[in-house]
Amino acid sequence: MMPWSSFVQKAQSLIDPANFNIPSLSSNDDNPSKASLFRQQFRLPDSQNPLQEITADLVLPLPTSSSGTGEASRRVDKAGNRYTGRLHLSERFICFSTQPTSFLPSSTLSASTSWTGQTHGTGPSGNGFTLPLSCIRRVERLHSATHVFSLALTTWNGLLHKQQEPNFVPQRLILQLVGSRQACERFCDCLKKGLREAMKEVDNLRAVVTDCYSEYLLSGAKPSSKEETNPNARQPPDAGLGMLFRYPGDARKLRDRSKMRLWGEYFRENGRNTTLVRQPTFHKLIRVGLPNRLRGEIWELSSGSLFLRVRSPKLYEETLVKFEGQESLAIDEIEKDLNRSLPEYPGFQSDEGIGRLRRVLTAYSWTNAEIGYCQAMNIVVAALLIYMSEAQAFFLLSVLCDRLLPGYYSTTMYGTLLDQKVFESLVEKTMPVLWDHLAKHDVQLSVVSLPWFLSLYINSMPLVFAFRVLDVFFLEGPKVLFQVGLAILRINGEELLDIQDDGAFISVLKSYFSRLDESAHPRSENPKLRAITRFQELMVVAFKEFSGITHSTITEQRDKHKGAVLENIENFAKRTSIRNLGPESKRLSVDDLGTIYDRFYEVLYQWQQQQKLLEDERRRQEKKKSERFSILGPPVDQEVGRVGLGPSPTHMDYDAFREFLAATSKWAVSDTPASARKDSQGYGSLKGNKSLLWANRRQPADHEFMQRLYRKWSTDPEEGLNLQMVVNGLARLKGSPDIMNNINYFFNLYDDSGNGQVDREGILKISEALLFLSRRGFEGTITASPSTDDLHGIRDDKNSLTTDEKFLGSVSAFIRRCFEYADPSHPENQKAAAQDDATAEATEKLDSFTIGDEEEDLIDVDGDSTSKKAESTTAKSESSEKTRPRSESANPALDPNNPLHITLPTFRMVVLADELLEQFFESYFPQSFHLSDHPHPAALAASSSLSSNLTTFSNIGSARPSQLSASSGASVAGASGGIVPPGKGLRGVLDNIVTDGIRMAAEVKKRMDDAQRDLERSALGRDEEDDEEDDDEYPHRGSVSTTAMAGGISSWGAGAYGADLERRSVREADRDLLEGAEVEASSLLDGKADSEPGSSKQSPTGRATRAADHDPEVVSKVVEFES
Amino acid sequence: MSESAGANGPKPSSSVKLVLLGEAAVGKSSLVLRFVNNDFQENKEPTIGAAFLTQKCALPTRTIKFEIWDTAGQERFASLAPMYYRNAQAALVVYDVTKPSSLTKAKHWVAELQRQASPGIVIALVGNKLDLTNDGGDTSAAPETETESAGPDGDEAAGEEGEEQDATPGDARKVSTREASGYADEEGLLFFETSAKTGTNVVDVFTAIANAIPESSLKTGRGAAGAGGQNTLGGRSGDDSRVNLGDRNAATAKEGCAC
Repeated sequence: MMPWSSFVQKAQSLIDPANFNIPSLSSNDDNPSKASLFRQQFRLPDSQNPLQEITADLVLPLPTSSSGTGEASRRVDKAGNRYTGRLHLSERFICFSTQPTSFLPSSTLSASTSWTGQTHGTGPSGNGFTLPLSCIRRVERLHSATHVFSLALTTWNGLLHKQQEPNFVPQRLILQLVGSRQACERFCDCLKKGLREAMKEVDNLRAVVTDCYSEYLLSGAKPSSKEETNPNARQPPDAGLGMLFRYPGDARKLRDRSKMRLWGEYFRENGRNTTLVRQPTFHKLIRVGLPNRLRGEIWELSSGSLFLRVRSPKLYEETLVKFEGQESLAIDEIEKDLNRSLPEYPGFQSDEGIGRLRRVLTAYSWTNAEIGYCQAMNIVVAALLIYMSEAQAFFLLSVLCDRLLPGYYSTTMYGTLLDQKVFESLVEKTMPVLWDHLAKHDVQLSVVSLPWFLSLYINSMPLVFAFRVLDVFFLEGPKVLFQVGLAILRINGEELLDIQDDGAFISVLKSYFSRLDESAHPRSENPKLRAITRFQELMVVAFKEFSGITHSTITEQRDKHKGAVLENIENFAKRTSIRNLGPESKRLSVDDLGTIYDRFYEVLYQWQQQQKLLEDERRRQEKKKSERFSILGPPVDQEVGRVGLGPSPTHMDYDAFREFLAATSKWAVSDTPASARKDSQGYGSLKGNKSLLWANRRQPADHEFMQRLYRKWSTDPEEGLNLQMVVNGLARLKGSPDIMNNINYFFNLYDDSGNGQVDREGILKISEALLFLSRRGFEGTITASPSTDDLHGIRDDKNSLTTDEKFLGSVSAFIRRCFEYADPSHPENQKAAAQDDATAEATEKLDSFTIGDEEEDLIDVDGDSTSKKAESTTAKSESSEKTRPRSESANPALDPNNPLHITLPTFRMVVLADELLEQFFESYFPQSFHLSDHPHPAALAASSSLSSNLTTFSNIGSARPSQLSASSGASVAGASGGIVPPGKGLRGVLDNIVTDGIRMAAEVKKRMDDAQRDLERSALGRDEEDDEEDDDEYPHRGSVSTTAMAGGISSWGAGAYGADLERRSVREADRDLLEGAEVEASSLLDGKADSEPGSSKQSPTGRATRAADHDPEVVSKVVEFES
Repeated sequence: MSESAGANGPKPSSSVKLVLLGEAAVGKSSLVLRFVNNDFQENKEPTIGAAFLTQKCALPTRTIKFEIWDTAGQERFASLAPMYYRNAQAALVVYDVTKPSSLTKAKHWVAELQRQASPGIVIALVGNKLDLTNDGGDTSAAPETETESAGPDGDEAAGEEGEEQDATPGDARKVSTREASGYADEEGLLFFETSAKTGTNVVDVFTAIANAIPESSLKTGRGAAGAGGQNTLGGRSGDDSRVNLGDRNAATAKEGCAC
């Protein structure tokens, strides 16, 4: 495998850092990436990245109330609105915004001069536009005295219909780039490239746009007349359930008709749906409330969900079809709530309305399974469906969940809690008196305000007013919720200062909401003042008085409180899950459980992060545009890796389990970091990457024993281990301080067939495991003593072996004894003979290589320890592969070594016959799993009562009271203190034994295999074939990824002036095409601008003019993109 | 019986914060609706966050004004719960007698409350939807005679009955009375089986809770300053300790916080 990192570095070096940002690499930063801010500002889909950025002036024709604008629009520099701002280019969009630069009204215009809105024209999207490149029809370069680069964009606005609108003038935007020639050229170049790409999407655009109500409105159907009176008009597009069941509120009182007219005018002058240009009037029209039939469309536009829909117009229907008939928990939950979502609205008392609600919620739960369904979504979606079609609501819901209300509906609802905290802190800051009063009377604000935020005021206020809030919310973002909330409290401030408890608090607000339509100043002399409703007052207070609450205020506050909120949630989650772990877990202390919990999730998250990085890396190499599987779902820059943030992974696989063990037990840490790295491919190779978390971590070992433990603990090894299983596993080992239990447990680990027998190979494996577990010393839990009567005696000097060395002896004695006392597997067949044979043979074999009790032997093997080490590693893995069903080896015909086995009593006896082994199982083994520093109180008490008489042969037979048999590090460690660091010599010895064990196992295996081969030749043959296939596949896969990688890099490079040859040539071709188009464009300019769209699809004519950016002296060059 | 509070003006009145917890759709809101409005709705709007209602409950010696926090049951709303049970003096942990998983969830809530809520919180375990079982229609089946406390004697009778009912075909009961009441006994909880639909035992639950609230906590009650909630049970001796229920209540409270 090639190291990913080198490619990443190489790729990164090709990218101009100023212009490009790889979202996934910066996603772990505390601060949102520039890309994500960019997307947020312009409400762009997650696939978009800021590629180019330049300062520019946007010059718009004079807005005139009459429809004839032809002449005025030509005098570009003399009249019209001029905005200074930044022009941005992403893969699929060109965006312009006055934010953060100021808005400069032209001197001539009244409409735009004074009005900057309560947010001073700096709502999240500011003035400007967000145009999908696919709706740009033509780009011309204009001559301009002041600006070298002056571009005129002509859009598809109004041209995607067959039917031509009366008095139609194509929309033309003039952009004057301000910047160095080089910067401008680069921008134009990039724009051109984007435009080429975008041509493919015009069909999508057309499909979506023709369904927009604005198109219908402008298409000649009289917007002010009712449909019934105009049967010839085409069917109006779906504008929500309101068309069938009436829209809430009195249309006359809401002055729906005149609002509609105003919007019609605005659309004519500034474009509609995808081609709309935001001017101050736009913001103003939204503030006064949207007309019913346009509400859905404007919501969709201002929230940016329209762009998602343009991107994949069929996604909603496809999702429904794809998951049809499937069931899920979310669907059950949805069903429960369908009948109780805005039940007061007649549409939701009908099957039609409920059906729509069901489909939208269900489809969303499939696209974003992490969220699934959260109560309150039903209310929000029901509200949306009154004004929009199902597909519109589906995409808008996605934008809500992912961007506008991040984390609100997640499984931990951290976003909701966080924003409550933010709201509280804002109340404290802006209304300290009220805050103190509430605090004094122990009224918790969030219990009241939480539903406001969670269901966007929809079930708090009467619907008509809630929708007015939503109008602004979708345009200006989450800050609106805060502003309105603060205004509610401010307006009711005096009354609230009188309340004493939650109940009164709630009823004050309840009654306020019920009187929102009443006059705010009923007793005023001034009739104008009297006409102001409480709701209008609320809006004014919200957006005037609290205009200081901006998006950045909210962001800042969120950052400030995020840590604490997440911690709270995590503590809650931890507390809850630890408490719910079931009876087994009670054997461990709460501290231990806490440690397991923390470690489990830490490992899991890091593992997941690691996998995600590798995955991202691979995908980036495979596909240059790392387009997401679905355009919906969690945002790419979403934070992950904390329990508090949402659904957490629940299961760890074997590799993650190894990590867990490595963090728990010394023996699970690998001796050879290098080889471990090789194992988990590409695992450590991302080193140097700042987001690599595990660079300096202990590498976990990989031993057969660990695999056995994993299989033992998990109910389904495929699925992995969940917290419950890990806790149960540890509880069984550590929870009951009983040597018998531990011995049984160990035996069962190796009882593969589950018949209470461990065969020859198993015995060897056990001994191997014993050595594996002990290879890092015993941490003082085992004390060798000269006699069993004096456990606390200091080591006998004449016997100067260390505990570890003695343990080796014990293990070899263990093997010998096992074979000695083993039973033949088939007692009916020559029982005695077999036993004798086996024992003799085994003993003989053992004697030939097993280390005896003499220390000289032990130390002798030091010399070649290193080489043997390597051997042992490979041999180990080999032997572990060879684990087979015992039934095979149980067939005496197949086993030349007369099968034999030990049973649990034998095993027990053999273990207890050896002091060190006994201690191993009594103390070391359970204690080698390190959890918290505080052992279970019961265990502690037990261990303190057990100061002597740790392990004597006298009490092994009788059932010992578990209290007495409890052992803990405290007492035993005190007794010995003989911690022996795993020295070089010792390791050599260990390795030798392991190798010998393996050699013997291999020998046994080999003979078995020889016998088997005759019988199972065909089966073996197949295995080999499989292997070959694997081998074939491997290099192939490698090469694919390499080429894909190259492609990815070249495309990146091209994005920022790459030097890739192939790319260059492609761009050459582009130019030709563009030049061809130019010719046509200039002819079109001469008056054929109305040509039927689609008729002259990419048809370059012969004469070639040089591209605009290659000849600055040409007065006016035109590049047109026609599709 | 509880609505007649207003008539006896001079009786001391105090408020008690009560929180309802339990799995989704076990009928928490319906219990409250039955208690507060003596009403029942088939399609109740889901609770977002929490709903707040009040209702008075008249006892012989005093009037209790319940401030009821009815919480959302959906699993993910669980992390909001601490906000609502904070300073609660009483809790109704509700499960559905036809759904064993809901009792498990209820046990989780009990454990949570015992560890995290105010010490001395009075917890009642309530098995709702009794109307779906065979003993549902018969109001005498449930241990309503023992309204003052979770008398073990009452459970016994009901328990046997419950087990018999388990065998009956057509009975939707999946959680036996014995199992639940045994658990309630162990944990020192009040225990009832109710039907919000028919009204069986609903008022009794609240009356029993009202009776079980220690006097001491009522006196200082919620009028105390913000931080006071948790201390109110401390060592302060109530003026009205002569009330006959005092002893038993104290015992209940103590059991409640024993873990």
